[in-house]
Amino acid sequence: MAQATAEGGLKPAMLGSPRPGGWDLFRSSAEQRLEGVELPGQGEEAWKYLDLRPLWELPFRPAPPSRVEACPTILPEAKASRLVFLNGRCDPHHCSVAGLPDGVAFRTLVPGEAALGTVLGEEPAFFPDLNAARFMEGAILRVPAGCRVVTPLHLLFWNQGGEGCPVVLPRLFVHLGAGAEATLVEEHAGEGAYLSAPVVEVLLEEGAVLDHERIQREGPEAFHFATLGAQVAGRAAYRSRTVSFGAWISRQEPRIRFTGEEAELTLDGLALLGGRQVADTHSRIDHAHPRCVSGQLHKCVAGDRSRAVFNGRILVHPGAQQTDARQQSRNLLLSEEARVDTKPQLEIFADDVKCAHGAAIGQLDPEELFYLQSRGFSPELARNVLTYGFASDLLGRIAVPSLRRRLRHAVLDRTEGGAQLEGL
Amino acid sequence: MSGLEGITSQEYKYGFVTEIDAESVAPGLDEGVIRLISAKKGEPEWLLEFRLKAYRHWLTLSEPAWANVHYERPDFQKIVYYSAPKPRKPQYGSMDEVDPELVRTFEKLGVPLHEREALAGVAVDVVFDSVSVTTTYKEKLGAVGIVFCSFSEAVREHPDLVKKYLGTVVPFSDNFYAALNSAVFTDGSFVFIPKGVQCPMDLSTYFRINNKESGQFERTLIVAEEGASVSYLEGCTAPQFDTNQLHAAVVELVALDDASIKYSTVQNWYAGDKDGKGGIFNFVTKRGLCRGRRSKISWTQVETGSAITWKYPSCVLAGEESVGEFYSVALTNHRQQADTGTKMVHLGRNTRSTIISKGISAGRSSNSYRGLVKVHPKAAGARNFSQCDSMLIGQACSAHTFPYIEVQNRSARVEHEATTSKIGEEQLLYFQQRGIPAEDAISMIINGFCKEVFRELPMEFAVEATKLLSLKLEGSVG
Repeated sequence: MAQATAEGGLKPAMLGSPRPGGWDLFRSSAEQRLEGVELPGQGEEAWKYLDLRPLWELPFRPAPPSRVEACPTILPEAKASRLVFLNGRCDPHHCSVAGLPDGVAFRTLVPGEAALGTVLGEEPAFFPDLNAARFMEGAILRVPAGCRVVTPLHLLFWNQGGEGCPVVLPRLFVHLGAGAEATLVEEHAGEGAYLSAPVVEVLLEEGAVLDHERIQREGPEAFHFATLGAQVAGRAAYRSRTVSFGAWISRQEPRIRFTGEEAELTLDGLALLGGRQVADTHSRIDHAHPRCVSGQLHKCVAGDRSRAVFNGRILVHPGAQQTDARQQSRNLLLSEEARVDTKPQLEIFADDVKCAHGAAIGQLDPEELFYLQSRGFSPELARNVLTYGFASDLLGRIAVPSLRRRLRHAVLDRTEGGAQLEGL
Repeated sequence: MSGLEGITSQEYKYGFVTEIDAESVAPGLDEGVIRLISAKKGEPEWLLEFRLKAYRHWLTLSEPAWANVHYERPDFQKIVYYSAPKPRKPQYGSMDEVDPELVRTFEKLGVPLHEREALAGVAVDVVFDSVSVTTTYKEKLGAVGIVFCSFSEAVREHPDLVKKYLGTVVPFSDNFYAALNSAVFTDGSFVFIPKGVQCPMDLSTYFRINNKESGQFERTLIVAEEGASVSYLEGCTAPQFDTNQLHAAVVELVALDDASIKYSTVQNWYAGDKDGKGGIFNFVTKRGLCRGRRSKISWTQVETGSAITWKYPSCVLAGEESVGEFYSVALTNHRQQADTGTKMVHLGRNTRSTIISKGISAGRSSNSYRGLVKVHPKAAGARNFSQCDSMLIGQACSAHTFPYIEVQNRSARVEHEATTSKIGEEQLLYFQQRGIPAEDAISMIINGFCKEVFRELPMEFAVEATKLLSLKLEGSVG
């Protein structure tokens, strides 16, 4: 451990041996890509706005097994369709998958199962490569062609900080066959200081529909670096919403690629930041086929000394005619020291397209505040109503009612005096 | 779209070479060449020092590679860093004494050097290759205290002013090309508008690259003192050559309290042929500093030429309530590549900026908007509005938007919008139904697309720009 600390950085060797086996080539090629590679620095354009210096000298180590008495979060809708991972290990006591239709697999990965890495690709990237080299237990959701799973599926990754800086590397592979439908809630939460670098791969075949709710409420001292790769086939629909409340430094890196025509994508994000939190979202959408539609709405509320970063890249490839791509970055600054850096980015190589992006950064509208105060709201309550309103329209799109309610409460908890809003 | 095809390609209208005895130094760059340039121009010691410092810094830099353009890097040792038209006499008493060949060149370009200037109301400081040949209207401007002359002359006649402002907006260490320019610039224009003076006419200069293999390193400095205002016009055309020519200009604008500077450019340098052979490399650093309260700097550009464009006219809004504006039309065709945009750096309170950028991409060209809006922690009440629209014509071209927005003050309001569209067949059909031919229809649609920028241009430029766009698009639309 002492040796690794002196080197400064995060190396696969610090995280034990690559177990379980079964993905030897996948793991070793990732390890090769990591050779001589340091944590990303701000000199790299993709990491320009995210300072990882707080990670440099941390004593990283593999996360030890952890136990909890009661399941930390429960979705009533998913009582019998739930997987729980504690510090990267599946905990059968809290899992229940009795309520799933035949043929649906929702369990830990069998060694060697699934073509890991095929969706995400093998482009070198520090955190996904680290995950590939050293993840412990992965999860899989496989829905056969034509199967509609009505019950939402809940996947909880609960992490427990401790001595040193434990590293958790959750891995998830989602595969929906042609015409299959499912709703998946992927939740990352925990306590204390640790680093989590999950990798999720989503493969949607022709006409499949996936609602993917992603909740990041890691512990306030934690680091979270999530990578999502998705391939969306013709006429399939992928609707992903990511809500980030937690972690000290976090980053979401979704990369979505259309692999067929007339597919549809929703990629929404909400980050609620306070204290000294830093949340970065770097998305990439590849319109590689004609007549696909994508919509991205990303909202950030930055309070205290927090910092929100957004870089949304949309590529319209040659021949991807009649693409319709829309992207919005909306940001609310609540304090003098908060900071927002945003860069919506369009790269278009086809002429018959409808593409638009927008970015707006501002504070609460004084006129709106005045309006509410003229109707008897205290200045504080008026601010809270407007902040809540800014954040909650995105929550309204969440497909699981109990989760929607829970997240709305979480937003209220984040606004000072939010309790007063409960009845509104 | 068959109605649009088969319109013949427009030859580059200004592709002629003037044969004048040019006094050139051998290609290549070292301290000796810089000392030679400085000596030939009879410069004071401090300016030579400035050049040498810049040169030594330049040696430590490498060419920027982040822009979305691809080209063969120029060999800086093959460039001729100094060439001046050889004067028949050391000084010109009147226009009659100027090289008649040169006068004819300007006539072909339509530069009004004679009485028609008075009618046009334009004073022209002509930069032919690197040395200013003649400056007009000097007396008339001089009467109100305005200095409008070549950079060399300004160094001789107003060294204190030049020394005071040179490099204050674009320091020699700013970037690779600015450092190179600071080391080897040969001439350019200098404008000084004293306190409280409204410049009575638009000031105009024509840049023209001549002399094969000679890079142009222009240096422009415009200073508007308290309450002064000026509108400056810059137009460019260049002869047709096969070898790439490098142009690395630096433009610095300084506006003090309540001053306003409007800088308009129409750029139509040789863009290379249809296959991307030849053409000008246009790597320009343009920046304005709103130093005073309520000062205003406005950039308007119509960029239609050059093989490669790398240009970001910017505003540093330091003074409280200062205003920055950027209006741009960038058209690329054939194999042209443009990476252009602006930076608005908000430092002072209640500063405002507007960015309107229209990119038109045709043929196999690539057109990128790259912009930065930065609000510093102290820039309370800062406001920015940006709009970047792209139009694509044809399936092989591309359009890109890279807007960087960095906000560190919560009372700031920043908005950015971007859209991409094409000329719809329905729109064309509508025009053609009414008897308007396809090429006229396209021209009208393009003009409509760009009108927010064109209306910011001075009248004569607006007319020229409109013509230029339709000319440039002929033969490519389909």
